[in-house]
Amino acid sequence: MASIEVQGLTKRFGPVVAVDDLSFTVETGAVTGFLGPNGAGKTTTLRMLLGLVRPTAGRALVNGSEYRDLPDPMRTVGAVLESSGFHPARTARNHLRAIALVDGIPAGRVDEVLDLVGLEGDADRRVGGYSMGMRQRLELARALLGDPQILILDEPANGLDPQGIAWLRNFLRWFASEGRVVLISSHLLAEAAQTVDDVIVLNHGRMAGSGPLAELRQGSTATVRVRTPDAGRLVGLLSSAGITARHDGVDEVEATGTTAEAVGRVMADHQIVVLAMSTSGESLEELFFELTKGSSDRGFAPVAGVRTGSAS
Amino acid sequence: MTRLIRSEVLKLRTIWSTWLLLGLTAVLVAGLSALVGFVPHRRALSTFPAKGTASWFDVLFSVMTLAVDLSLVLGAIIITSENRHKTITPTFLAEPRRGRMAAAKFTVALGGGLALAVVAGVIGLVYGLASVGAGIAPMGRMLTEYRHVWPGVAAAAVLFGAYGVGLGALLKNQVVTIVVALVALAVVEPILGSSVPSVGRWLPGYSAQALESVAANARMHAGPFSGGGSVHLVVWWVGALVIIGYGVALAALGSFTTLRADVT
Repeated sequence: MASIEVQGLTKRFGPVVAVDDLSFTVETGAVTGFLGPNGAGKTTTLRMLLGLVRPTAGRALVNGSEYRDLPDPMRTVGAVLESSGFHPARTARNHLRAIALVDGIPAGRVDEVLDLVGLEGDADRRVGGYSMGMRQRLELARALLGDPQILILDEPANGLDPQGIAWLRNFLRWFASEGRVVLISSHLLAEAAQTVDDVIVLNHGRMAGSGPLAELRQGSTATVRVRTPDAGRLVGLLSSAGITARHDGVDEVEATGTTAEAVGRVMADHQIVVLAMSTSGESLEELFFELTKGSSDRGFAPVAGVRTGSAS
Repeated sequence: MTRLIRSEVLKLRTIWSTWLLLGLTAVLVAGLSALVGFVPHRRALSTFPAKGTASWFDVLFSVMTLAVDLSLVLGAIIITSENRHKTITPTFLAEPRRGRMAAAKFTVALGGGLALAVVAGVIGLVYGLASVGAGIAPMGRMLTEYRHVWPGVAAAAVLFGAYGVGLGALLKNQVVTIVVALVALAVVEPILGSSVPSVGRWLPGYSAQALESVAANARMHAGPFSGGGSVHLVVWWVGALVIIGYGVALAALGSFTTLRADVT
């Protein structure tokens, strides 16, 4: 079974500790978001997983072995990295062919992946003339050459247009649903929120929290706004249900420190007509800020998909 | 390993530098051959051999040694181009055992050197045949001299490709590598050669000259980076071993330093 395992991973660049005793395991069948502010150590961790950066201490294993010891690295892991480059004079097809040759991947697979990322029409153009979004698609095509069991993507949404992002999201879902592993780093939380099932949050090179996104969200509270002709009555009902609420404007009620579900149940029980309802504060952003505030470790329980190791 | 080499050959075929260097070899060998062999005013030099003599062919054919110098540049580009265009990341992802990748580049550089030597050799031969056609010298003498020079040039070009890869593996930066390679060959080696000839003969440039079997004074007339005639060159096969030694030693040094380094 495909897996990623990081144990006590540490990387120091001179006096700077980029990754500090990080441990986690990612297993099959889910899209795991690797989140954290810029400089949290996400890219360095991914590069250690891929054998590009040598850990100062600890281990980063793919399917139980180090990347450089994998018998078939391209067929095991596909990786899209930000700093990866292209020779501007080389066409996309030749770029992919040169890499496919290393692992004896047939030329037909090059056409397949070009087709998959929608670059078949531009395959024989020089990459120097490609837009950023096209380069990103080409990177993804390269990662997919070996039809890998594991995909590691560093900020894959960068440079993609909205259609591209939507396509990527669907693609990653499909990929994970086949029982394969997706680990995707991002600092774009709104995007990540729509794509990932599990999250690992990194801050200052340390684990700040991890677990299924749904469970993390359940623990967080929100502000719920409701427009209803029965605003006055709803405030009373919510208050008696122990929810802080106030009448805000003619037909608006603002309930704080609660969830949409709790407010919704009160309204359903008392047959209150709803004109509009919105929630704020349940976002991944707020969760994220909560997790990365200081160096607090919320210590989320290990759950299927992501198991958290001790961060200290 | 065969797959890695095929991948490297494809990479080499699909960058501009390869074709630029092949073209440069053709243009420079053609131009300089015409200049040293056929432009009349050169005859005014008292030391210059008379047209059609064996020594004259030596000078004419020694222009082909340009392929050796350009092969060094090609070898350097084969490895440093990956750093320059950051294709080193996908390359190492596909083949994380970096030593194997360097070995494949080494091999391909040998082939690249041979390609440059073939281009130079064809042009040299065309000039040789032209001089025979013009009645300057008999065919037999021309071919004897050509056989005397070209194989050594080809061998030196092949090995200098590997020397370039070694240097590139160590220095990493493309511009720095090419500048260091050419300055070492054209400036440092001649200075060392004339001041300390016993050391100079063991340097790659002089070793290449030993291999080229070109009389030092012939190269002085024609070669772009010519050394002083005071250096007593080593035997040709020792020269070959010395160049291989430089390539391997530099690459080995590189694999303990630059090649091991983090790719960020």
